[in-house]
Amino acid sequence: MGRRLRAAYDWFDERTAIRSLLRKGLYEAVPVRGAWFYTLGSATLVLILLQLITGIFLTLLFVPSVTEAWQSLNYLKEHDAFGSIVRGIHLWSAYILLFVIGLHMVRTFFSGSYKRPRELNWVTGVGLFVLVLGMAITGAFLPWDQAAYWTAVVVTNIPAYTPFIGSFIRALWRGADTVGPITLSRTFGIHVWLLPAILFPLIGAHLALLRKHGEFGSYINYRGAYRSREGVDVPPAPAQRPIEPPYPAAPSDELWAAPLETEDFYPHQTVKDGIISAALVVVVFVLAVVIGAPLEAIADPATTNYTPVPEWFFLPLDELLVLVPQQLIPLVLVLPTGGVLLLLALPFIDRGPERNPFERPAVMVPGAFAVLFVVILTLLGSGRLFNL
Amino acid sequence: MNALLALIGPAFHALQTQLPAQAPQGNNIVGAQIAIGSLFSLHILIAGLVSGAAELGPAIEFLGYVRQRRSYDRLAHGLGRFITYYFSVSSTIAILLITVLLVGFWGHFWTTIVTIGWWPLFIEAWTFVLQVSLAYLWYYTWDPLRGFKGVHMAIGGLLAIASFLQVFMIDVVASYMLTPSAQNPIRLALNPTSYPLTVHRTVGNLAYIGFAFGGFCAIRYLRAKTAEDKRFYDWAGSFGLLWGVSMTLLQPVVGYSYAKEIQLHSYGSWYKMMFGSLSPVFLWQITLLGIMFLTATLYFARRLRTDQAKGSGILKLLSVGMVLTTLLAAQPYALGFSYETVAAAGLNRPFWEGGLINPLGSMIPWKVLALMFYTLIAIAAVVWYLRGLPGVVWGTARRGEQRILMLMTVFTMLMMVTMGFIRENSRGPFLISGEMTIQGQQDVPSTQPTPQSSP
Repeated sequence: MGRRLRAAYDWFDERTAIRSLLRKGLYEAVPVRGAWFYTLGSATLVLILLQLITGIFLTLLFVPSVTEAWQSLNYLKEHDAFGSIVRGIHLWSAYILLFVIGLHMVRTFFSGSYKRPRELNWVTGVGLFVLVLGMAITGAFLPWDQAAYWTAVVVTNIPAYTPFIGSFIRALWRGADTVGPITLSRTFGIHVWLLPAILFPLIGAHLALLRKHGEFGSYINYRGAYRSREGVDVPPAPAQRPIEPPYPAAPSDELWAAPLETEDFYPHQTVKDGIISAALVVVVFVLAVVIGAPLEAIADPATTNYTPVPEWFFLPLDELLVLVPQQLIPLVLVLPTGGVLLLLALPFIDRGPERNPFERPAVMVPGAFAVLFVVILTLLGSGRLFNL
Repeated sequence: MNALLALIGPAFHALQTQLPAQAPQGNNIVGAQIAIGSLFSLHILIAGLVSGAAELGPAIEFLGYVRQRRSYDRLAHGLGRFITYYFSVSSTIAILLITVLLVGFWGHFWTTIVTIGWWPLFIEAWTFVLQVSLAYLWYYTWDPLRGFKGVHMAIGGLLAIASFLQVFMIDVVASYMLTPSAQNPIRLALNPTSYPLTVHRTVGNLAYIGFAFGGFCAIRYLRAKTAEDKRFYDWAGSFGLLWGVSMTLLQPVVGYSYAKEIQLHSYGSWYKMMFGSLSPVFLWQITLLGIMFLTATLYFARRLRTDQAKGSGILKLLSVGMVLTTLLAAQPYALGFSYETVAAAGLNRPFWEGGLINPLGSMIPWKVLALMFYTLIAIAAVVWYLRGLPGVVWGTARRGEQRILMLMTVFTMLMMVTMGFIRENSRGPFLISGEMTIQGQQDVPSTQPTPQSSP
């Protein structure tokens, strides 16, 4: 039996070169230090795949029309325990994905991993973050319950503050002056086709660039981490092992070239990645079973006594919109747009070889305050989650 | 001796006949307010420091561990010592406040608020026990646990959590007094202003301890005898100020959010702060905030200039920006005591039309813009100071910089007292907003002031 299996494997390998592909994929040398922090990227990928799988299941039943969207999900809730759990997994994995991808970005930012030659890894990463956020926002419209309807009203109104073309964008998204059937079908199209069509190629590009430039790029892995301010006390470089791809991938600062200590991706890093990803999947599953995905009453545009509660990931912007006077709202909406543009431009602004966060105040301080403001606005806005 | 007795005797006799037989409940409201207000201010000034130190100290210890810098460890240890010294002072004042003044002067109020806020106060009492136990454990195990830094930092982390919880529980009760909600423990804890007040106060305490130890280190720097001490106190003073400014620049957003919740849920109090009798104090507060940022920016510029480090010039430019922003923020809206009095006199029109209104002093958009500029300029100042720091040689600071650090401590204390004064007086004439008046501590039917058309 064993010999037959081996023969089958050899046959398959002769035609697909699977053996060398696996070797190349699994035996890359990765840095030893900070390995647990680097599990966030693979966890993000696992959660996106979970979104994809549960999303495919949901499209088998969901009907994207204002008369049947809510009915189809209510059917899951009332009559299909398994389907209800699948919807719960879809929702909770989306929530945790947003949190994990945010942490992944923060980690990359603080460790300076966006620097040469990894600028495009960062740019594709920012693109992925924006797309995931877009998926979450458009997904929130789809159940067509009260929460979904009023979220659609608020969110589709935001582009209207864009100078000159704001009203056009709003009309294009809504398909009319008000939120209605066309809004739902367009948002569904964006959610299941348009955004994934950009998202998945971008994931491929992100992973390809990751492999090309070597893993991580954080300061703690390199000789530069041990450099004193005066440039002395650098420990002697260890014997650099031949690795694929070779470090440095580009002729950048010698101090930030080869990692000090490396180990094979498999099994060392894959085990850590597996542990974190499995733990997150378990958490998602437990939340999906215990709490599930809520479904409020069917959308009623004529209601006068419903208090809309924003999704938690929308809280920082929502809190800003609540706080800022009407006249200054366009100014506030510049913040997220400007923030994304700044993030995209970051590797081209902060080009110095220094990666130590304590030695990069010009980037770290505004970045830390941006993160702090987002956290504080979320905290302040969370009062509305309890409908106070 | 007989002469002394002859002098004191009539005074005692007079007092004996004039003192009331029991606590002056409702008889001397102003006296009670002054006694309670001043002692509360003193309590908050010390308790805020203790809470801030219990949250910041462990964070500094962790930072020192990550960066392998002994100066951080020494600073965190110093904060630990401060907590062990002053915890009892703050607690004694709190106990005096409760057992003598609150129960004696406003017994009905105290009984009522303890009945309503029993759960938060119960939890607060136990977090207090936890906090004091952990504070002493954290400080006195510093050397014994030097080989087990992880364990020691974990104790510090628990201390920070206990301190935060204690402040949160007190804030639940304090915020209830301003925005009462349905009386069950969860709704009480989630009353509309408990959340913003907790964030506001936590950030405030963290800033306050930074400014306070900055001032303390300035005094120690001037008295330091050894070069090592000079280096340490110069660095620690700068670190304290930097930390204080970094926390304070979050406050415009947090404070604005807090004010917004007050506007939505206790309109009468908000109106009093913005347009009524408290508006001059509010104007002072926003001006003082600008003065604090300006003073800090001047310190940054001076400290870099002392060692000819890069960035001093830009920081001076930022100081000019801060002066202009402070001048904008300090503009009064009503050119009278308050908008309320100006409106009552029928003069609520722009000054060029013969009225007493200065549109440049309006909250929207000018003061909001000023708050935004405060934050942005302060962030820029912090960045440029940090960029210049590699050129600073610690231990070479001049007296002027140390005076600025001490001044900042005074400004911060003024800010704390001003904010406490505004918050506590905005409820007037109520002890519990809309439910119990100060006058004779009478219960009133629960009617919240409703929003009216505001200018």
